[in-house]
Amino acid sequence: MIMSLRALAAKPAAFLAPAAVMLAAVTVYPILYVLWLSLQRHSLIAGPASFVGFDNFARLIGDGRFWNALANTVYFTALSVAGELMLGLVIALLLAHAFRGYGTMRAITLLPWAIPTVVAARMWEWMYNGDFGVINYLLGTDVNWLGSPVWAIHAAIAMDIWKSTPFVALLLLAGRLAIATDLYQAARLDGAGPWALFRYVTLPLLRPLIFIVLIFRTIDAFRVFDAIYVLTGGGPANTTETVSIYAYKVLFQGLEFGYGSALAAAVFVCVAAITAVYVWLLRRSLA
Amino acid sequence: MACTKLTSMRVSRLLLSALALTVAACSDKSASPAPGEPVTIVFKHGKLFGDPRAFDALIKRFEDNHTGIRVRTESLPASSDEQHQFYVINLRAASADFDVMALDVIWVAEFARAGWLNDLTETFVPADRKNFFKGPLAAIRYQDRTYAIPWFIDAGVLYYRKDLLAKYEFEPPRTWEELSNIAAAIKQREPGMYGFVWQGKQYEGLICNALEYIWSAGGDAVRDGRVVLDSPENRRALGFMRALVHERGISPELVTTATEEPSRRIFGSGKAVFMRNWPYAWTLFEQPNSPVKGKVGITALPHFSGHDSAATLGGWQLGVSKYSRHPKEAAVFAQFMTSAEALKALALAYGLNPSRRTLYDDPDLIAAQPHMAQLRATFEHARPRPVTPQYVRVSQVLQSEFSAVVAGLKPPEDALASAQHQVEAILKR
Repeated sequence: MIMSLRALAAKPAAFLAPAAVMLAAVTVYPILYVLWLSLQRHSLIAGPASFVGFDNFARLIGDGRFWNALANTVYFTALSVAGELMLGLVIALLLAHAFRGYGTMRAITLLPWAIPTVVAARMWEWMYNGDFGVINYLLGTDVNWLGSPVWAIHAAIAMDIWKSTPFVALLLLAGRLAIATDLYQAARLDGAGPWALFRYVTLPLLRPLIFIVLIFRTIDAFRVFDAIYVLTGGGPANTTETVSIYAYKVLFQGLEFGYGSALAAAVFVCVAAITAVYVWLLRRSLA
Repeated sequence: MACTKLTSMRVSRLLLSALALTVAACSDKSASPAPGEPVTIVFKHGKLFGDPRAFDALIKRFEDNHTGIRVRTESLPASSDEQHQFYVINLRAASADFDVMALDVIWVAEFARAGWLNDLTETFVPADRKNFFKGPLAAIRYQDRTYAIPWFIDAGVLYYRKDLLAKYEFEPPRTWEELSNIAAAIKQREPGMYGFVWQGKQYEGLICNALEYIWSAGGDAVRDGRVVLDSPENRRALGFMRALVHERGISPELVTTATEEPSRRIFGSGKAVFMRNWPYAWTLFEQPNSPVKGKVGITALPHFSGHDSAATLGGWQLGVSKYSRHPKEAAVFAQFMTSAEALKALALAYGLNPSRRTLYDDPDLIAAQPHMAQLRATFEHARPRPVTPQYVRVSQVLQSEFSAVVAGLKPPEDALASAQHQVEAILKR
């Protein structure tokens, strides 16, 4: 056993190679290919591609529709992730206590996460319907949720919170249950109340997990596509058009592979930057 | 086999070919059949709703009359966007897996410019052209050549509640102002009714709706290659659309999220006096359990006074792929499928409206579908959306700007000025 481990240590490259080749094929190559495409004028319907350097990125800087989409994306991400984290945390802490039927409750909580997004979005589209939607009925209002420039984006955020809170709750619940009970007992002996228990035991120990949840959810929310595409298609007047929806329209409807790839590259850079910030914060909080 | 070609393809095409191969599984047609062997052509089209036997019988009739040709039909998803993607990916990869394809009216110029369609100018002779409606004939031309043959036609029409108009002694409206007045009067006396529903969501259907107001005010989007969006006529047209929702309350706010089906359901449940939609809704209203059965009238869309009414052209055309291995046989098949005989059979079986105007005098067809007689006048005046290879991009700009108007976000003059500017940039590029 020890011998074989030594052998492995002596030739790491040989053992890493299969994984590296695999990663290169499915991740590195497509990323580089998109970056290469983003330097070209490449439209499927307009003849051969030509190299144009950073023209597409220059166009991006001056493209009001891109900045509008980016602002929508940031707004959507900030509100939905904040909502999911708060609600998810509350639900996780509630579910951590044993009560009658809590097993069933945990299963039910997961349901929204288990429904495919497109199906859920169709459901919400009906619920938001201004004519016979159940939401207007319950609230006693007469609002055209998905057609209003003010409400449409918030309607999408509400759906995303409904859909993704279970994921956050589940991860945080796992983290909460992993905290040893004697820590709580010791703190109680020292006279800690419920708030102090949360503030000085639960929260610090959950922090690494909270960062992981934030990374996952932020990246996911930033790339949001299917939910909004089904709910509003980006309307009214592009008020719900996110960067991914814009990139999709340019790529697969407009068939401009060059500019579309530049948009995709911009999303990639944003997501990479967000991740870097989180990782830095996580390291700092652990240090 | 098509699969073996992969190795010789340029690397930059690999991704596309891979996509193409996943959608269209490799077929192992032999390139050139032995002499005397029949050739097989593949016909791609959107899914037809209804009993497939009528379609199969038609194909069989063709094969019986053309013993050297076998036809395989392959249907695509009903969504026009998905079909567009399928064609673009496969044609870009020079796929020879299909020969004849059904094309949405807005794709012909785009595909012709890309060099994916065979020139059918010699096949589709002028003597036959005069039997078709004008609108589709304009949509299949690109740089003075013909690239497809019209198959089925579609156009915006006005549905109205015959019973309610009769009850309050109104005639069907001829102008937009009349429509607005009638709707207001009936709404007042029939509480809970909506006046006029249409399609105002940010999507292709909004362009179709808006152009009908624009054209019927004497305006246009592109005329003789020039962008003419920013005009007083267009401001009037869009101003009226916005007023319908935000000032007059004739159209409920929910039209700004409505596509065809939601508006059809509202009208179909008896909750609206007027509706703009495509002819497909008619047969649904006449179903035995429909709440509006026998109460619906259909007529040409209204116009602004002093102008003519206009309808946006939709529908399907048949084209022959540049990569077809049997272009001659494919053209023969396209001609057969667009013949009076084939169009009549398909109209009877599936309720599709033929692009051949001569069929609208056909006694069998009129007996089976009496509303076709009313549709004829609308189809005669149906106009294509701007015929340009850049249509999809033009449409995206217009969708966003028109949506801003109907949602009450921008005044028409701002939206039109901005659209003018953006569309000019696209057509210049």
